[in-house]
Amino acid sequence: MSQEDPAGENYRTTVKRNRVLHWSWESKLPLECAAHFIRMRSMVDDARIPKPGFWSNWSSWEEADAQNSLGHDPLFVFPKDKLVEEGSNVTICYVSRIHQDNISCYLEGVQIYGERLDRSVSAFELKNVSFIRKKGTNVFCKVDQGGALGGIVLFVSKVLEEPKDFSCETQDLKTLTCTWDPGSDTGLSKQPSQSYTLFESFSGKKTLCKHRNWCNWQVAQDSQETYNFTLVAENYLRKRSVSILFNLTQRVHPMTPYNLFPKNVRATNATMTWKVHSIGNNSTLLCRLELLAEGKVIQQHNVSIKVNGEYLLSELEPDTEYVARVRCAYTNHFWKWSELISQKFNTAEAAPSEAPDVWRNMKMVSGHPTVSLFWKPLSKVHANGKILFYNVIVENLDKPSRLEVLSIPAPARSTELTLDQCSYQIHVTAHNNVGPSPASVIVISGDPGNEEVESGRVNGTEDGFSVSWKPQSGDATGYVVEWCDGPQDLPCVLQWKNLGPNTTSTVISSGAFRPGVRYNFRIYEISAKRMAHLLEKKAGYLEELAPSDNPQVVMSNLTSHSFTLSWKDYSTESQPGFIQGYHVYLKPKAGEQCPPAFEKTVLPEDSVCCKHTIDNPEQKTFVVENLQPESIYEFFVTPYTSVGEGPLDAFTKITTPDEYSHILIRIILPMIFCVLIVMIICYLKRQWLKEKCYPDIPDPYKSSVLSLIKSKENPHLTIMNVNDCVPDAIEVINKPEGSKIQFLGTRKSLTETEFTKPACIYLLPTEKNYSGPGPCICFENFTYNQAASDFASCGHFPVTPQAPPHQLGPLTSPENLLKALEQNYMNSLGEIPAGEANLNYVSQLASPTSGDKDSLPTNPPEPALCSEYKMQMAIPLGLASAPPSENSSLSSATLLGQGEHYR
Amino acid sequence: MRAQRMRRTPLSVILGLLFLSMAATSKCLGKYHELLLQLQRQADLMQDTSTLLDPYIRIQGLDTPGLKEHCRECPGAFPSEDALRGLSRQGFLRTLNATLGLVLHRLTALYQDLPEAQQLVGLNIRGFRSNIHCMTLLLRSSSEAETPEPTQPGPGPTPPPTPPSDAFQHKLKSCRFLRGYHCFMHSVGQVLREWGESRSRSRSRRHSPRRAPGDTAPSGPCRGGARRMWPFRRDRRLMPRGHLPR
Repeated sequence: MSQEDPAGENYRTTVKRNRVLHWSWESKLPLECAAHFIRMRSMVDDARIPKPGFWSNWSSWEEADAQNSLGHDPLFVFPKDKLVEEGSNVTICYVSRIHQDNISCYLEGVQIYGERLDRSVSAFELKNVSFIRKKGTNVFCKVDQGGALGGIVLFVSKVLEEPKDFSCETQDLKTLTCTWDPGSDTGLSKQPSQSYTLFESFSGKKTLCKHRNWCNWQVAQDSQETYNFTLVAENYLRKRSVSILFNLTQRVHPMTPYNLFPKNVRATNATMTWKVHSIGNNSTLLCRLELLAEGKVIQQHNVSIKVNGEYLLSELEPDTEYVARVRCAYTNHFWKWSELISQKFNTAEAAPSEAPDVWRNMKMVSGHPTVSLFWKPLSKVHANGKILFYNVIVENLDKPSRLEVLSIPAPARSTELTLDQCSYQIHVTAHNNVGPSPASVIVISGDPGNEEVESGRVNGTEDGFSVSWKPQSGDATGYVVEWCDGPQDLPCVLQWKNLGPNTTSTVISSGAFRPGVRYNFRIYEISAKRMAHLLEKKAGYLEELAPSDNPQVVMSNLTSHSFTLSWKDYSTESQPGFIQGYHVYLKPKAGEQCPPAFEKTVLPEDSVCCKHTIDNPEQKTFVVENLQPESIYEFFVTPYTSVGEGPLDAFTKITTPDEYSHILIRIILPMIFCVLIVMIICYLKRQWLKEKCYPDIPDPYKSSVLSLIKSKENPHLTIMNVNDCVPDAIEVINKPEGSKIQFLGTRKSLTETEFTKPACIYLLPTEKNYSGPGPCICFENFTYNQAASDFASCGHFPVTPQAPPHQLGPLTSPENLLKALEQNYMNSLGEIPAGEANLNYVSQLASPTSGDKDSLPTNPPEPALCSEYKMQMAIPLGLASAPPSENSSLSSATLLGQGEHYR
Repeated sequence: MRAQRMRRTPLSVILGLLFLSMAATSKCLGKYHELLLQLQRQADLMQDTSTLLDPYIRIQGLDTPGLKEHCRECPGAFPSEDALRGLSRQGFLRTLNATLGLVLHRLTALYQDLPEAQQLVGLNIRGFRSNIHCMTLLLRSSSEAETPEPTQPGPGPTPPPTPPSDAFQHKLKSCRFLRGYHCFMHSVGQVLREWGESRSRSRSRRHSPRRAPGDTAPSGPCRGGARRMWPFRRDRRLMPRGHLPR
């Protein structure tokens, strides 16, 4: 509101003589933001003066300019510390002394934009301001690049709410207590929290409440019955009030009863006593006694009392914890129940009211029937106290004997009895502090009878297993269904259910039943003699699952066209469902069709393979036929139940052999076997074979010839050492005069030596100094017999060149030598020891014509003179020396040059 | 000024009585170094802005851009660090005690704004003043002949707060006062640390006058810390024999 654009507001009132007029007016724009002007005029308002009257002229404007008293700060913001309600619109302004344009204003750090009133004043209208904090909302303005800062705190109060749920009541007809819901707290730094005042209109009294949500009011002694209360909530900005009108006696809320105790507590009844605070004189209270068991109200009784209450609670259960609670109300006019008071108590014990539920399991241990007796703990309702022990009385029904009594302390739930072949009647009773329970009787027969019955299947549902059976005899007194709660591979926790004689089906349910576990049920019929006979067996799954594992498959009989798969170790009993059969998957080589009996299928991983279904769960072998030789196949076997098949495991790879490999195996294997046999035989008979096939060469030192020669002719004879033997060479010269001879062996040319003499055979001496032609016949003796060698040509018989061949000595002729040897042999036969009687002499006369014809002259000299003589002697194996080498046989003649010696 | 001094006199008498009463009732540590260390730690604790200033700024809504930077220490509201260094030890302790007394008084006025923090800080200040008293006794026993030195007449503690003109100014003034208090305690901590250093130096003159590596002072709440000065002139005569540095 600028001076140039004034906006006025009118106020009109009546003034009496000598009365000063006070008019308080609050400008929307803070007074410091702009100068405000006021003027007035008047008119006579008197009945004696006819209307309409006449207004006086306006007075001159009176100016109210607060800016003059601001001080010297550079920047001011107004209004200071203004208190407004949430949702109000507030106009603020700044007054700048520095006349700068770059002044920005912020509301809680967020810049706000306003209207410039003049050069130094700008106004900002804050609409719908909200509560931020009790310490007020900070609004400040500052010069953008200067240090000047001015600000205000705008105190925004929450709107004062009307008190809710205002009500008053009395507990003793002396004091009224009024309560209400105060709503939000409107307290700020600038403003205290709202106050509450209670005003009663009939009495005209009022009281300032000390608390935000309740207030006490003293009831007047003058028996005021009706009250009209007004509750006024007030803060600096607003007042709110709420009123109620009521009759005092209709607002009685009794105090909580006290001293609630049980009295004379027995097994089935107890008396409860309690007290109440009196209200006025001879007022009656209606009390409600409730009995709770396990948190539920089981009995409820109303009792009218003045001060003391008492009630007998009956039909209680023995040894049971109960809670009794009491609350009371004013009888004259029900307004509210008092608060509750509770008390726990336990009834006394009684003897157990029901026989324990007993069942048995029979088995043979070391030839004796052993009975495991099981019983279920009595329910709390039937135990009537803490069970201390169980008595088991065993009575022999076949022969009179003393009763055997076993006392088994609780909480045992089973015992084991070893019996004989007689029938026994067993009584089981449970005992607590008060006495025994009725007996549970069961009869055990010494003859277990035929327990083999057919097995059936039972279907599981959400509720359990629905088991039914067919009664066999008409005198059954009941039936028992027994089962094990856990899986088959765990120890059996025997469970049973007793059923009446007219029952032929039941639903077996247990929290222990799990999907995928096979449960076996046995149905027994209880005869009139209390003996149990097995009726039926059932097996079932609460919920069948797909097999969790696959069988271990063994592959055998692999041929080029087939192989056999077997999984005989796979147990169908321990699977998570009834095994209905098996799927055999086969992956043939690429492009090959499925064998007959297989059908093409697609695996989950989108690979195509062949599948064969075996629908007999007991068939655990399968022959895969019609395969291709030398092909790679992959197979995989998985069982399936009604839910699905087992997990898809890895395929096993095989390669079929070629078509003929089995034939080859049939031939080669026997051959190898035969060869092995022959080798073994040869090894075992190697001595015999040696003797037969390659006997050892006789040892000359062991020769009887040697002993014979030594003893009869020359005692100094020794065996010639092979190394000492210098074989002579035969040089055959048959050369016409003037011809050249090409020497063989040494490759030395003898062209410079020309023999002009006619063809002749020379014996070359061993000595180097020997030279000159001579008769040449060489004999070599291989017997190493010195005696024989002395006569051989290899001995050093000096032969003069002049000597004719027929004059070479007595043994130079083969005939002579043979004769001598034969003679010596014959002479010595009688002197040979018995062990040497098998010595053989093999004589050989080798004709030069049988040797190497190429190396010999084509025109040999005298046959008798140019013969080669070989002689061998056999000796026992043990004395045999190394056989001579072929080179030493000297079957060829060597041509040597004159003056040279070759060994 | 005279009127101000006249007002200050009964206040100092009251504080002195309070000081004496604490001396009579509390049990002082006899060891100078332990007491000094305790004073240093208390000063470190009291200069921590998270105990008082930060909650105040948050509660009053001053943690907005444009306002936060105006919560600066008022020059001269508290004795500067240099001024504190210029005092003798006895004078330092007297000034410290008097300043904290005024702080305590001012904090009482802030009770509505910071009820919990104010109570805790009040306890800290009382404990600190108790230790000041003990240190004063310890120093006095070492130099009985010392002539009493008046409290530093320089920039002294802030006068009792005048009623704020408006809530906004009150918020800013209180904020500046609290920052000044934390800065002052930072300076006090620095000076007390130099007391310990002066002892070490007097033991071994070859030692560097710099602070020992393990002796770390927390960074102060004040912008641009005061220039470090050599501590205390003529203070050796104040050392008690057997306890104080020789």
